[in-house]
Amino acid sequence: MKNNKKFITGAEVAVQACIDAGAEIMYGYPITPGTEVFTGWINRGKDYLQTEDEIAAGFSVCGAVIAGQKSFTATAGPGHTLMQDGFSMAEGMRLPFVEIIAQRGGPSSGTVIYSQQEVTLACLGGNGEGMRIVYSPSSLEEVYLYTRLSFNYAWKYRFPSILLTDGYMLKTRGVVNFEKFKDLKNIDSYPLIKEGEIKHWRNIYTFEEELYEELQNQKKDFEKVRDEIAESEEVEVNDAEVIIIAHGLVAGACKQAVEELRSEDKKVGLWRPITLRPLDSKSLNKVVKGKQKILFIESSMGQLARLVKDELDPELSIKIEYLEKPALGIEVSEIKEFITKNI
Amino acid sequence: MFKLLLAGDGGQGIQLLSNIICESAFEKGLEVTHIPNYGLEQRGGVSLAYIKIDNKKIPYPKFTTPDLMLVMSDQARGRVENHLGEGQEVLDIKDFKEKLDNENIVLRSWNIFFLGAILKRLDSEGLIDMDFAKKYLENKLSSKLGWEDNLKAFEFGFKS
Amino acid sequence: MISNPAKFCPGCGHPIVLMMLEKVLEDMGLKDQAILGLDIGCSLLAWNYLPINTFQTHHGRVTPTMVGYKRAKKDSVVVGYTGDGGAYAIGLQNLLHAAKRDEPIIILAVNNTVYAMTGGQTAPTTLKDQKTSTNPNGVEQEPFFGPELLKTVVHPDAFVARTIVNDPKTCQEYIKKAIETQKAGHFSFVEFLSMCPTAWKTKGADTMKFLEDMKMVFKLGELK
Repeated sequence: MKNNKKFITGAEVAVQACIDAGAEIMYGYPITPGTEVFTGWINRGKDYLQTEDEIAAGFSVCGAVIAGQKSFTATAGPGHTLMQDGFSMAEGMRLPFVEIIAQRGGPSSGTVIYSQQEVTLACLGGNGEGMRIVYSPSSLEEVYLYTRLSFNYAWKYRFPSILLTDGYMLKTRGVVNFEKFKDLKNIDSYPLIKEGEIKHWRNIYTFEEELYEELQNQKKDFEKVRDEIAESEEVEVNDAEVIIIAHGLVAGACKQAVEELRSEDKKVGLWRPITLRPLDSKSLNKVVKGKQKILFIESSMGQLARLVKDELDPELSIKIEYLEKPALGIEVSEIKEFITKNI
Repeated sequence: MFKLLLAGDGGQGIQLLSNIICESAFEKGLEVTHIPNYGLEQRGGVSLAYIKIDNKKIPYPKFTTPDLMLVMSDQARGRVENHLGEGQEVLDIKDFKEKLDNENIVLRSWNIFFLGAILKRLDSEGLIDMDFAKKYLENKLSSKLGWEDNLKAFEFGFKS
Repeated sequence: MISNPAKFCPGCGHPIVLMMLEKVLEDMGLKDQAILGLDIGCSLLAWNYLPINTFQTHHGRVTPTMVGYKRAKKDSVVVGYTGDGGAYAIGLQNLLHAAKRDEPIIILAVNNTVYAMTGGQTAPTTLKDQKTSTNPNGVEQEPFFGPELLKTVVHPDAFVARTIVNDPKTCQEYIKKAIETQKAGHFSFVEFLSMCPTAWKTKGADTMKFLEDMKMVFKLGELK
């Protein structure tokens, strides 16, 4: 390590973040490409349990956080599908459940490698309304920062939180400067059910009206969260004619493409959501207003586009083009070619 | 920005080479990314390593056209066909096999031969800390079987 | 003792088991330390039933939830409460593995041979030839023997037993033994043969006869 810089993998970064966040136990089940988060955590000597499947891992995290212990899991693809059972309970009961998702090709077993095809599942999975916090980091340093924030905000706001990344990011080794995070503070966990009190806590209601009311309260809280933590990044948007919208690792490639095209005087900008849920719709609509085109670029068949379009100002009239490469990495050269065709 | 793609069969030492190269570039204070790529099988598939070295932050670890590409097997060659491009240097085992046999470089040390050649190129472009690389290699392999062969291979590669 | 009026059907066996649980916890002075997790089935109706910290989980998932809770709060008395479906169908995987790992939790499974809350469908413990809405011509196979299966994977010091709700003395004895087993760091499981006149469509004496007949199929006692 050189002056607080390390050359490490995304998985190791995630593990470091969980350790620094004060997580005490990880429940997990091996699944590529997320296994290294599990084995990495174990190799650091931390407490864990390998469960019989992802369903058990999810519910064990629920039990742990109910008791007030900072706990998390990591999974991918088909494991992510199974995790919806436990994660749904966390959504319904407002549990500070934290999970790291390593997107891989889907559906079914797909590939063990990479995709951005679990956006819908992460944001809107289970049988609820998507009241979950979802972060999509686009660099190793963001993997660290947003894993830390996932823990903080899960416990502060009581919404289950996801660090949504992918197989490429977790296995990429890169230079990470931890110096800039040294003052980041943790929010403490606390028991949600206390000895000496009597709490009767349900997730099933007898009448429609009871659940409706509960959901209205949750929605109010979720909107407050949006105001406080919804985050996005604007790159060269002010005089841009077309705006690219991308997230995660693809947004990293887009940034490079934008930089190179700008040096050729092409007027392109990038709007990058950092929180997929809640989406920074205020910034989104400010950026796209008056622009000629939106270009969605993602390694899925429009999952990001669907999510973002849902929050576009309904009065907005704008051309939209799509570069959709489900399960495939997207190179800077491809992005530049696509933008050039559309500018 | 320098883009390096290493390709070989699993077991030919591609990841070992990546580690030495990347750590040496990191030691030089540069930004480095490395992303490996394997098949599904635990043994016998193609092993790839994408390496980027730059003096500023690298936003995306993969690329289409490397500046320098190493191909260590027929299986690997097939896999990296669409990474060929203009102006790149390709170190292909088929071009060196005879030379290596003539010089009595053992099969097990072929990857170290190429490491010598690659490090020489990277050093000439100021991308690695050469002393560190040599020490790292020694640390990793000197206590293992065949160190003399490896050393010989390295020096031969460096000279070539 | 009980905090809320029962929403269980008249003649249901759940209130009996729950009352026994509360009594034992009371006698042992452990009500404050106790935490009761519920499956989703008729067991969910116990969510506000006892003056004990209680929370619902998901169908078949009370076992892994209580595993996580206990590991987070080791000084608690952790009880997972479920039915025959939660224990032996959807939750069997989780139950078997918690048992195999000797997780120091208690699982109480109430066996009334049917999925009662959803209307009386076939359960793993439905008796041979018993008719249900999903086997209107009668179930063709023998039922599932949970404690017997668990016995093959548990630690020698774990406690696995089956009793019947019309034997309150043994019910309390087994619950007490389960708690002591947890305190000693081991897994315990108790199956309670119970009645469901609603799903069985029986009345009075017929209900009790059904229950007594279950004893001929499901052996009572501690599995040693």
